[in-house]
Amino acid sequence: MRLLSGKARGLESAIGTLILFVLIATAVGVYVIQKNVNMARFGQGQTSEEAPAAKGGLNLSSFATADFPAAGNAETYNNDNLYEKINGKAPMYQESGFVSLTTQRFANKENAELGLELFLYDMGNSRNAFSVYSRQKRADVTDINGIPASYKTSNSIYLCAGKFYIELVGFAESQELIDAMLIAAKKMSAQLYDEKDKITELSYFPDETVAGSWKLQLANAYGFDGLSDTYSAQYKVNDKMVSIFFSKRKNADEAKTIAKSYNDFLISNGAKSVEPASDVLKGLNAGLLDFYGTTEIVLATGRFVAGVHEADNRDAAQKAAEVLIERLNKIND
Amino acid sequence: MTEPNQLNPARRQLLIRGAKAAASIAAAAGIASWLSDREGPGRGQKTEDRGQLPDFSAPRKDGQVLSIVAGQDRVKTVAKAIELLGGIERFIKPGDIVILKPNVGFASPPLLGATTHPDLIATVAKLCYQAKAKKVIVIDNPINDPASCFAISGIGKAATAAGAQVVMPKDNQFNPVTLKDGSLIKDWPVFYEPLAGATKLIGIAPVKIHHRSAASMTMKNWYGLLGGRRNIFHQDINGIITELAIMVKPTFVILDGTTSMMTNGPTGGSVSDLKKTNTMIAGTDMVAADSFGCSLLDLKLADLPYLSLAEKAGAGTVDYESLKPVRAEVA
Repeated sequence: MRLLSGKARGLESAIGTLILFVLIATAVGVYVIQKNVNMARFGQGQTSEEAPAAKGGLNLSSFATADFPAAGNAETYNNDNLYEKINGKAPMYQESGFVSLTTQRFANKENAELGLELFLYDMGNSRNAFSVYSRQKRADVTDINGIPASYKTSNSIYLCAGKFYIELVGFAESQELIDAMLIAAKKMSAQLYDEKDKITELSYFPDETVAGSWKLQLANAYGFDGLSDTYSAQYKVNDKMVSIFFSKRKNADEAKTIAKSYNDFLISNGAKSVEPASDVLKGLNAGLLDFYGTTEIVLATGRFVAGVHEADNRDAAQKAAEVLIERLNKIND
Repeated sequence: MTEPNQLNPARRQLLIRGAKAAASIAAAAGIASWLSDREGPGRGQKTEDRGQLPDFSAPRKDGQVLSIVAGQDRVKTVAKAIELLGGIERFIKPGDIVILKPNVGFASPPLLGATTHPDLIATVAKLCYQAKAKKVIVIDNPINDPASCFAISGIGKAATAAGAQVVMPKDNQFNPVTLKDGSLIKDWPVFYEPLAGATKLIGIAPVKIHHRSAASMTMKNWYGLLGGRRNIFHQDINGIITELAIMVKPTFVILDGTTSMMTNGPTGGSVSDLKKTNTMIAGTDMVAADSFGCSLLDLKLADLPYLSLAEKAGAGTVDYESLKPVRAEVA
């Protein structure tokens, strides 16, 4: 007995074929999606991207010497995934205007152990770049002649160039490596540094300030959230080293308000007011404070909030403050 | 003649086939729905599926809780530090499957001290095998290209040379873990699978200053077991380190203060960030180990709030001298 007519059987075969086709297409789709699953969607997995120069970024390989070819692709990181590369240090950059990081490793073509990694931080502007550069500057290092805002250690080179903060980190202590990094650093500085990016505020410090000791805190200087855009430097009084600072404000009133607030902040944290010996400090109604055995000075002069931070010697602190005030008053004029 | 209530055979066959097809589709859809994980790994698990980490801790022995060994040679100092705690045989028994958890957080060479020194991994793995461990496995979740981190840090090579197995993190090895009474570790993906099959856990960390947490030592080292977007925990870094110290119960920990990263941690980058502090610490109390580690970084205990938080939570003591640490010096 024929259960279905020829026409019905043909229709059934067509439907069956269509269903099979849909199932196969579904299986292929699932396979493709699974193969290319983006774990970052679930907060897992690496999310950095390769950074070809075609994307508008710098071609880091162009700075390397022929003896140190690239040992991998360049990678870029943004605010979302910077922590993947530098983990706990990411917040410091992000609080300072971080835009992106491009990194790439290079290795000696004859000795792969002789490697280095180049970190190019785009900090948005030269002040941000100088801030992260200066705050991380190592002690007792050698500034590099011919490259503004740069220094080297036994295995690495650091510099500021325009809106970029750059680290060249060598994987060994080797003169060959340092020489190659110096060539790369010079190329980068030549291409990226512009005289207009020079931090003019550094010239506000007294001439005798220890060269290269400058730091810029963009916010929350010395733990006080009212003290922003604060420049500091080391100043030597006889053989005593003193840390002096200033912050240029909109006007004298704002400077006075911030100076008072900072003075109050120190007192609320245990500092004790002391009568200054210096007439200059008395004249400015400066706060001289004993802070657990160290000396703090805070004052306002014209548009500047200025002072001394954690000085071991009180006389040296007052002398350094006087020199700084004299200098800042010339700027005010 | 067909009765009015009887169906035509062809029509009845069609209906039966249709019903079977519908049942098949419904079954397939039901199974797919049951198996589907709409929220992805690490989330949306049922409460009863939430994992807890095994307890790997060793029975306490007064007078052998903390050892501090002075010396420059890591191979010698770590062996001595373990010996002073009662020897590796106190902790590792024949047949044990041992997990070593170094800090492999960065693709950084041993020279820079940002990661656990490979000599320590090799030495501890060999000691475990001498105690007849069945297997030694080295794990960490560096997030950023684990293969590069294990290669450039030298840890992968050292582990393999010592006969240990390196397990790189894979997505399917993470399980959601909830810390009882915790406020941060809730259904959070943890590098669980290697731990689930292990019998012993040894944490091995360098001494480093840390921009966010003031210092990174043995307690912070467990951060590397976390998956997901763990950077959100930087907002409460003391809280997460405390919870990790409660959640992870290692057999013992090793804190390598042969060199200490004094500046620009946790990444460092320059040899000048390091200071030779020539000290190796081992202990079954990681709060005590890290409290001692503060002294190597010229930090006060108050600089690391997570230490006192962990002590209050019962994870150990900050008063490491009360444990009467065993001290030695090796040439």
